[in-house]
Amino acid sequence: MAYSDSVQGAPKGEGYGFGARLMRWLTPGNVILVVCALIAAWLVLVPLAALFYTAFAEDTPYGPGAFTLQNFVDALSSRYIGDLFLTSLIFAGGTAIVTFALGTAVAWVVERTDAPGREWFHGFALLSFAVPGLLTTMAWILIFSPNIGWLNGEFKAWFGLETAPINIYSMGGMIWALSSHYFPLAYLLMGPAFRVLDTRMEEAAVMSGANNYQVATRVTMPLLRPAILSTLLLLFIRGMESFEVPRLLGLPARIFVFTTEIQNATSNAPPQFGLAGAHGIILLLICVVGVYLYRRSTRNAEAFATITGKGYQPTTIRLGAWRWPVFIGMSLMFFAALGLPLFTLIWQSFFRNVTLPTLDWSVLSAMSWENYDIILHYPIFLNAVKNSVFLGAMAATIVVLFTFVMAWIAHRAAKQYGWILDVLTFVPIAIPSIIIGASILFAYLIIPINVYNTVWILLIAYVTMNLPYGMRFTSSGIVQIHKELEEVAQMSGAGLIDIFRRVLLPLLAPVLIAAWLYIFVLAVRELSASIFLSGPGTHVLGTITLTMWEEGGSFGAVCALGVIQIIPLIFIVMAMRWIEKRVGTRR
Amino acid sequence: MLVVENLRKTFEAQSGLVNAVDGVSFTVERGKLLTLLGPSGCGKTTTLRCIAGLERPHAGRISIDGRDVYNSEGNLFVPPNERGIGMVFQSYAIWPHMTVFENVAFPLRVAKGKHYGRAEIAAKVKTALEKVRLGGYEERASTQLSGGQQQRLALARGLVLEPSLLLLDEPLSNLDAKLREQMRFELKRLQLDLGITTLYVTHDQAEALALSDEILVMSGGKVMQRGNPTDIYRRPNSEFVADFIGSTNLLPGRVEGTIGADGKGVVRTDEGAIHCTFFQPIANGAAAQVSVRPEDIFITAPNAARSVSVLAAKVENRVFLGEVIDYIVRCGSRELRVRAKPEQDFAIGAGVALEFYADRCVGLRADDSRKAP
Repeated sequence: MAYSDSVQGAPKGEGYGFGARLMRWLTPGNVILVVCALIAAWLVLVPLAALFYTAFAEDTPYGPGAFTLQNFVDALSSRYIGDLFLTSLIFAGGTAIVTFALGTAVAWVVERTDAPGREWFHGFALLSFAVPGLLTTMAWILIFSPNIGWLNGEFKAWFGLETAPINIYSMGGMIWALSSHYFPLAYLLMGPAFRVLDTRMEEAAVMSGANNYQVATRVTMPLLRPAILSTLLLLFIRGMESFEVPRLLGLPARIFVFTTEIQNATSNAPPQFGLAGAHGIILLLICVVGVYLYRRSTRNAEAFATITGKGYQPTTIRLGAWRWPVFIGMSLMFFAALGLPLFTLIWQSFFRNVTLPTLDWSVLSAMSWENYDIILHYPIFLNAVKNSVFLGAMAATIVVLFTFVMAWIAHRAAKQYGWILDVLTFVPIAIPSIIIGASILFAYLIIPINVYNTVWILLIAYVTMNLPYGMRFTSSGIVQIHKELEEVAQMSGAGLIDIFRRVLLPLLAPVLIAAWLYIFVLAVRELSASIFLSGPGTHVLGTITLTMWEEGGSFGAVCALGVIQIIPLIFIVMAMRWIEKRVGTRR
Repeated sequence: MLVVENLRKTFEAQSGLVNAVDGVSFTVERGKLLTLLGPSGCGKTTTLRCIAGLERPHAGRISIDGRDVYNSEGNLFVPPNERGIGMVFQSYAIWPHMTVFENVAFPLRVAKGKHYGRAEIAAKVKTALEKVRLGGYEERASTQLSGGQQQRLALARGLVLEPSLLLLDEPLSNLDAKLREQMRFELKRLQLDLGITTLYVTHDQAEALALSDEILVMSGGKVMQRGNPTDIYRRPNSEFVADFIGSTNLLPGRVEGTIGADGKGVVRTDEGAIHCTFFQPIANGAAAQVSVRPEDIFITAPNAARSVSVLAAKVENRVFLGEVIDYIVRCGSRELRVRAKPEQDFAIGAGVALEFYADRCVGLRADDSRKAP
C-alpha cells in the first residue's frame, strides 16, 4: 500500500537532504505510530520505572529517599523468604496442573467428541471464567470452612465425624478454589489446539498400524506439545499473580505468597513501599522468566500449525456407549466447580446469617429479600457500581480503539516498526496486576499529575493491564483480513477514512465487540490492582466486596452483592457466545 | 496509453537490498492486452503494484493516458485511490460483509468529487454485472458465490467506473483447471468487447499465450524478451525464455561454418550437427545452444529419416496420452523429450532416428543463456 511504503523512507542514493527525508518519513501512518508508541510506552514503562525507583530507595515519610539496597536485603534475609518461594511455587504449580487437567478434559470433550451437551459445557466454562474469583473464593469458604462450611456440616452429619473433613484454609483448599475459577482458561487455550489438530495426521498413524495408545503418545501429544507447554506456563504465571485466593484463604491459614506479601507491606503503618517494591521485583522476575519461556514455546508454533485450509473437516470421536458416562462426568465436574459456589451464593443471599441449605420449611419460610434491599439502598455500594461500570466501559472503549489503531499500524502501515508496539503492549502480560497497582501508585505519588485518589488512576491501571488482551483480539482480527480487501478498496478510489469506515470496521465489528466485552468483564471484577488505588469515594465492586466480607457484618449481604454482580455476567456471556457463533459462521 | 520508463524498486531484505524491479520499460497501446510473465519473484507483481500505486517505486516514470502518475524526477506520486485504475486481485478480495450489489457499488459510493445518485448507481452496477454475466445476482450475499462467480464479481467491481486501464493480478490462479480454461475465453471476449487496455500478470505460460496481444517475459527484475505470443514461443532469445515458455530440449555445441543472411546455420553438438535458425547475430565458431521443442523433433524408424539433421537414439520411456505419445529418448549421453503423433509408435528399447528441421530449431548464444532463478 502507499502508506506502507513510506516507512522505507526516501530511496537510497537519491541525494535528498535530511530535512527532506524527515518530511517524507512523516506520513500520517508514521506519525500515528510514534504517538501510539509514546502513549503505550508511558503507560507501561513509567510504572515499571517507579517500581524500580521505589525498590532501590529508602522509605521516608516524604516518599522515596536516597539510593539503597536495604529493601532487597530485608526481603531476601527474611526468615520467611524460603517458605515464601516454596509456597508460591507449590501454589502456582499445583494450580497449573489441576487447572490444566480439568480444562483439557473439557476441551477434549467439547472439541473432539460427540458427547451430549457440549454447547452447554462451553457456555458454563465461559461463565465460570467470568464470575469474579473473589466471589468463588467466598463461596468455597461458605462450603468448606471448618466452622461455617455447610458441606462440611453435612459430611459430619452423614458420616458421624467429630471434626470437619475438609479444611478450605489449606494449600489444597487454595489450589482447588483457584482451579475451580481458572480451569476455563485452560479450556480456552487448549480448545483451539484440539480444534485445529488435523485429524488426518491421526488417521495416517492409524493406517500405518498404530493403536489408539500409540496414536495418542506418538502423534497427538507431540503435535499438541507447544500448546500444552504454553498453557501450563501461562497458568503457572496466573497462579503466581493471583491475589484473591491467597488473601481470603492463605492469610487466615498463615500461608503467604508474594502477592499477599506485597500488599501487606504497603498496608503496614508506616507503609513499607520499598519492601513491597523489592518483593514486587522478585515476583516480576519470576513472571518475566515464565513469559519468556511461554514466548519461546509458542514461537515455533507455526511449524506445528496443522490447519490445512481447504477441505479440512475436523472429525469427532464417536464415544458410543461412553457418551452418557462422559456427559455425566462433565456435568458432575461443572456442578462441583461452578454449580456449588453459585448455589451457595444464591442460597446464602436470602438469609442474614450463615444458614445450611435444607428443605426444612421452617428455614425456607425465613428466606427474604432483606439482603438485596440493604445492598440496593447502600450508598457506598451504589457508588461502587457506578465507578466499576464507568471504569469498565471507559477502559474497554479506550483499549479497544487504541489497540485497534495500533494493530493496524503494526500489521499494515508500518510493518517494519510494528514489533515495537507488539512488545510494548505485550509487556503487561508479564506484570502481575498487583504490581501494576502498586507501581502505578508509586508512579503517581512521585509524578506531580494529580490523579491520586481519583477514578482516573484506576482507569490508567485498567487500561494498562488490558492492553495485551486488546492487542491480541484486534491483531488476530486484522491478520485474518486479507490485505487485498483493503487494497482493492484503495484501487476503487477509497481514502483511509472510507477504508476504515466501510471495510475494516464492519468486518472487524464482532471481534471488537468481543474484545470490548472481555475487557469490560475483567475490569469490572478487578481487585488486585484496585486495592492499591481506590480510596474513599473511588471504591469499586471488587474492593467493596472484599471490605464487606473482611469487616464481617452479614455474609448474606455480601452474597447478595455477589449475586447482583453475577446476573449481568450471564447476559454478557450469552452475548459473547452469540458473537462467537456469528463470527464462526462468517469465516 | 500506459507508459513505464526505467522503473526501479528496491526492497530491503535481510541479505541486503534486493532489486525487485530493475529498470523495466514498456508501453501498452490503447485497447491491447499485455502480459507480464515470469516465475515467482521475477518482479512482475511488483511492477503491477507500482503501476497501481500500491507500491512506491524508487525511480522511473509511469504515465497513464498521457498523465504522469509517478515520476521520480518531480517526486510525483499519485495515490492509488486517485489513479482511476480497475484492478482484480489474485484472491478476488470480495468483501464478505457486502452483497454482490454493494461490492460493485463501492467504487461509485466512495468516488471523490463526483456524487452518484441512487438510480445512477443501480444502473451502472447492473451494466457492470451484466458485462460479466452476473445479472440478477445483485442481492446475493457475496460469500454465496462460487469461485468463478467471485472472480467475475471482482471483475465487475473493477470495471464499474469504466477505467481506461485494467490490472489483473494472476486472476485465474485460484480456479480449478476446467474453470480456468473457461474463464480464459471469457476474459478474452470481455477485453475485446470493451476494448479496455489491460495489463495482465501471470506465471502460467499457457494463459499468457492464450490471452495476450504481447508478452513481456521477466526474470530477476529485468525484461528478458518482449513479443507477441508466436514470437515468444517460436523465437525465444535465451535459454531462460525457451525453457520457461513451454518445455524445450537444449543441446550445447559450437557454430560450424558461417551463418547465412536468413539466419540459417549449423551447430555441432556432441551428438551430431544440427541445422537451425539464429535470430540474433553470433560469431562463427562461438559456443551456442540449440533449443528445440519436443513436438518439433520428428521420431521415425532408423532408415526412414529424410532430414539433413538426423541423430540416432533409443527409446527409454514412453507415455501414451491419447492424442500424442511422449517419449524420453537417449541420444548419446543426453536425454531428450519428444512428442509424437500416435502413429509414430515405438516400444521401449527400440532404436529410432530423430529428425531436426532448421526452421523449427532455434540457435541461441551460449553466453546470454540465463538459467531461471
